[in-house]
Amino acid sequence: MNFFFGIKNKILKSKLTIPRFQNKKKSQEKYLLYQAEVKNNFWNIRLLNDENNKDFFFVKNDIDNNKIFFLATKKEVDLWSNQKFQKLINLNNYTDTSPAFRANLQIYLTNAGFSSYQSEYPFSMTLKKGSILSPISSLANEDAEKNYVFIKNIYQYPIQEKFNVFFINIKTKEILFKQSILTNTTNEVEIKKEFIKPDIFLFTKNFIGIPIYTSIHKNHISFEHTHPPHEYILSGDKFKKISELKLEINAIIN
Amino acid sequence: MQLLIKKILRNNKILKIKNFLGINPIHMSLSGIGSASVSDAFCWRTDCNFTTTFKYSDLLNLFYNIKDSYVEIFIYSKNNDLIKKIIFNNLNFSNKLNINQELLNGIQDYGVFYIFHRLNNKTENNFILSNRCYLGFSQNNNLSSFVHGNTLAKYKNLTNDNENSDIVKTTLLINNNYRVQNYFDKFDKSEIFLSNPTSKKIKFYIKEKKFILEKGCSIIIDVTNEKEINIKSNCLFFRPLIFNYKGQYIDVYHG
Repeated sequence: MNFFFGIKNKILKSKLTIPRFQNKKKSQEKYLLYQAEVKNNFWNIRLLNDENNKDFFFVKNDIDNNKIFFLATKKEVDLWSNQKFQKLINLNNYTDTSPAFRANLQIYLTNAGFSSYQSEYPFSMTLKKGSILSPISSLANEDAEKNYVFIKNIYQYPIQEKFNVFFINIKTKEILFKQSILTNTTNEVEIKKEFIKPDIFLFTKNFIGIPIYTSIHKNHISFEHTHPPHEYILSGDKFKKISELKLEINAIIN
Repeated sequence: MQLLIKKILRNNKILKIKNFLGINPIHMSLSGIGSASVSDAFCWRTDCNFTTTFKYSDLLNLFYNIKDSYVEIFIYSKNNDLIKKIIFNNLNFSNKLNINQELLNGIQDYGVFYIFHRLNNKTENNFILSNRCYLGFSQNNNLSSFVHGNTLAKYKNLTNDNENSDIVKTTLLINNNYRVQNYFDKFDKSEIFLSNPTSKKIKFYIKEKKFILEKGCSIIIDVTNEKEINIKSNCLFFRPLIFNYKGQYIDVYHG
């Protein structure tokens, strides 16, 4: 099961185009679009009646940095309500496809540039704690007027817990920047130009998520996420190597 | 017994039969590739006032603490002719290459390129690396729109010159649908870029129109008037890169 999300800040808005079909099949109208957000330590669930056609849901007005969206049948949500929405559960496997089931997440400036990527947040990620490791200079642009990284975390329990994001020079082993961010939120972190260098990496402690880099220059936008490190190693030693590297970086922040 | 069954299922010949018959088809397989560097088929464009920025990491240094590795980049035309081979030594953790007309001796066109990590000396380690990398497309010197790698295409041994493809699998029949999960509305123009990551001929249809892509070749197709994009092909993983245009602004992402 995949979740979808949006982004909002002072200058950027976003819209989601969520398909009602798997990428090899016909559309299924029985799956409805729901919204979830944390409220008083429960997941508050709402059926959305946004604009749609037989193949897509279009989400625009309901987007903020706390809401997430998912496809489910009414029956599945009713069953979940019996558990009082105390934590996210894997409601169905409709969005478990290969290639991945994704929605188009587009950010835009009013009457100016736009940029998007095909996005998803797999249910399996909501169960995990851990850390993000992401090379800043791979997607941040030193020539742009503004650079941000939006860090999206969705965690199974309906809590907004603080955790830290660091910018670390992995060669000199220095912490250059630290900011507190929240679980179950699309967090905005501005990247100053001095941090867009080959040896500087973004690292989080305690919680994982998706780091999505945004550059803005003369009303043009670029928007893309970095790959998690385990996509770079395909051999059997992948988890050992990544865990060794993360341990080294953990030693710097501790 | 379970192990034996798994071994058989991973066997390439069995895989081909399963894919042919459509029984739990396997889109991609890395079985039996040994120690290797795997590359995507990365798109480059210098046509229509485009330049392409390529950002890649020194994976051998980052994960294995190997300081003296290097990378080879092979740039091919859309017809799979080798245009240029470039070697980069002295790598940083993150590196950048600008692909423009100047680099390609004035060529205004498009195609694919591959990156391979290389070692000077043989290694006992049996590692497989895949540099997924990031591509930025800038038109008319505006801000580059970045997108990450899309399709595992070729692999090369880390120390010798053995190069192979066919990680992505094909079928005999043109019966694999791929519906792009986005709605193409309110754009001035839309294009899709497709490349053949296999050594086989890829035949595909968009609506009623038939296309053929020979081994290693690539194509840009104008899809401006389509609200939805459905690609029917004999390839089990045939995902396009998409260029959407509105006014002076562009958006590039993999579909």
